[in-house]
Amino acid sequence: MSVEYNCILIRFGEIFLKGHNKKYFEDLLINNIKNALKPLDYVFNRSQGRYYIEEFGLNAGEIVSRLTKVFGIHSVSNALKVKTDPETVFDAARKMAPSEGKFRVTVKRADKRLPFTSAEMAAKIGGELLKASGARLKVDLFDYDFDLNVDMRDNGYSYLFYDKIPGAGGLPVGCSGNGMLLLSGGIDSPVAGWLMAKRGVRVNAVHFHSFPYTSELALQKVKDLAAKLAKYTGGVKLFIVPFTDIQYAIHEKCPESFMITIMRRFMMRIAEKLAKHSDCGAIITGESLGQVASQTMQSMNVTNSVVSMPVFRPLIGFDKEEIIAISKKIDAFDISIRPYEDCCTVFLPKNPVIRPKISEAIEYEYPLDVDALIDAAIKNTVTEYITE
Amino acid sequence: MIYFDNAATTRVTKEAAETALKYFTDLYYNPSAMYHEGLKVKNDIESVRKSILSAIGAPDGKLYFTSSGTEADNLAFFGTKKKKNSRVIISNAEHAAVYQSAMNLKNAGYGVSLAPVDGSGRVDEDKFRELLSDDVSFVSVIHVSNETGAINDIAALARLTKQASPRALFHSDGVQAGGKIRVDLANAPIDLYSLSAHKIGAPKGTGALYCSKCVNLNPILYGGGQEEGVRSSTENTAGIMAFGQAMSDCCKYMAETREKLKNIIKYLRKALGEYDDIAILSPEDGSPYILSFASGSVRGEVIEHALEREGVLVGTGSACSSNKTTRRIPEALKLKGKYAEGVLRLSFSRFTTAEEAVIFAEKFEKVYKELKKHVG
Repeated sequence: MSVEYNCILIRFGEIFLKGHNKKYFEDLLINNIKNALKPLDYVFNRSQGRYYIEEFGLNAGEIVSRLTKVFGIHSVSNALKVKTDPETVFDAARKMAPSEGKFRVTVKRADKRLPFTSAEMAAKIGGELLKASGARLKVDLFDYDFDLNVDMRDNGYSYLFYDKIPGAGGLPVGCSGNGMLLLSGGIDSPVAGWLMAKRGVRVNAVHFHSFPYTSELALQKVKDLAAKLAKYTGGVKLFIVPFTDIQYAIHEKCPESFMITIMRRFMMRIAEKLAKHSDCGAIITGESLGQVASQTMQSMNVTNSVVSMPVFRPLIGFDKEEIIAISKKIDAFDISIRPYEDCCTVFLPKNPVIRPKISEAIEYEYPLDVDALIDAAIKNTVTEYITE
Repeated sequence: MIYFDNAATTRVTKEAAETALKYFTDLYYNPSAMYHEGLKVKNDIESVRKSILSAIGAPDGKLYFTSSGTEADNLAFFGTKKKKNSRVIISNAEHAAVYQSAMNLKNAGYGVSLAPVDGSGRVDEDKFRELLSDDVSFVSVIHVSNETGAINDIAALARLTKQASPRALFHSDGVQAGGKIRVDLANAPIDLYSLSAHKIGAPKGTGALYCSKCVNLNPILYGGGQEEGVRSSTENTAGIMAFGQAMSDCCKYMAETREKLKNIIKYLRKALGEYDDIAILSPEDGSPYILSFASGSVRGEVIEHALEREGVLVGTGSACSSNKTTRRIPEALKLKGKYAEGVLRLSFSRFTTAEEAVIFAEKFEKVYKELKKHVG
């Protein structure tokens, strides 16, 4: 069974449900697909609820890999496209047939003008394969080794395929607006960004960098994580905020136990400012309830209270194992565990406050010139557009 | 830019690069080929083999070229026969290539004993002697500590080994020694010795394992039978030839370089001695190529990054406090408290100048004072 597939078939998922907005979602999805496939050569076609990639040369593997990371795609298949003419279809089926084993043929006849039913055609193709195999093939509709699918579409072509490679699901990136992700170098935040991208959010990211306490390697790690996200989102605008002076100021003027709480409040304020400037409708964080001291309900309330924008925390109810599983799935885990410090580990207090109060945070922040510190950090922020 | 991380790797010398280029573009033939050009390259490799053997004081030994010092260490560990359930001794401050190889043997059922080192990274000979017994099959002690530059008396340790454990093979990782300090293998019962090219001005991708005539090495790579069947793979001719060139240049300038670097180290010791929270780790009689010290106030990594901004590149002993694997050496050196995370390593080449040392001292002062302002 050696066949050169000449077509990649794309099925899309949830956007079917979107009624009169369907065109908007489809246009966005097609745009995202075309972006994901740059700069490869191919021909894109669409017909009757399917997209087809053809004339892709030697890039089939690369194209399928990229397509499975485009949100909104339900599944893809490597297919053999032939004219819907019985003899041509039989011939293609013989080329694709296994040499031995149990098989079935599943025909879908989207073109209702054809003068046979799907079941009749499946039986005919099955018969042809049995004839050609010299008894090495057996039909078994239920306990089969191979299921040869034949989609007969109304464009006059049939598509023969075996595998349905699952896509990333979700909604096309961009259809839900923009979000600003707080991206550390850890395991959680890239997963949070990925989950929101899956729901159609175009992800921007902000990273707080504490040179010389954190290294260029730590920054590279964050860029590499952003690049993993970019595989799914098409690109990530990354804001790199110098954070050392703010940490120095907090360290010098605020109680040690509030170091992280006040630091997080600065991060949220800066993230919101950058978010507003980048037309984002929400801040995204990788917080998971109770995971560390800064992720208690009280801590989140205190950090949340400095911003008015919605804060999405898609991991809030996730266990670490569940987060790690997604991190591995999106190929981010090995990057996240690179052993470089991130800014949260600089000046780490021995006993961080677990149940801070907003009033305490405001009181302890009093000696700081919050606006001036934030303005200086934003002024020195570097922006990079990260693609995969 | 001032580059004081030459123990990590160093610039390829013009002479070595030119030699390599010649074998990339003109004499690119396969040394195993049957025609004249192949034979010419083969002979050239053999002459480098002889010259390197001579440079390490073992003209009658064997030398197998490898892809790196790490591979040479691995070949020593896994290419030698060891009696089942026997014991292996390594020092407590070995390079990861040796340490991880030993840990692999441990997982395979061999006993592994770690010989303690003193605060400068040198093996304590008395404690080493106590570990020796008849069931020891393999000993590996680094010649020059890559962390501190401490020089182990491998000749004495090898003799001790052979007295108490006559069947044991003695290996030494000489990656920071070959071409930098005098190596005299023939005058001691040293069986195996690892070398690396890129530490002395040749390109990365070449190493070698010296092997005394009485040791049989089994291959860990199988294939075309190059290097007497011990290390199959088409020879890296350009790398090997450049290695030979670099080794011969290093030996030519060894005495002169030693004097120069000794003075530089003396100056830097004095400059760093001004800080009461800095402890010098390197011993006075260590390699002139390495000066290690530890800060009791600021993490080594932080100082390294701050120096980097000033155009000074140095190495850290402990790359990151959150990475437990990097704590092995500070623990072996018995560094306490913040000193364990404050290790920095300055390492030099024969091209290092006294002016660079002066600039380093100035930049260090500036950076260190600034960082200490924020120490809680």
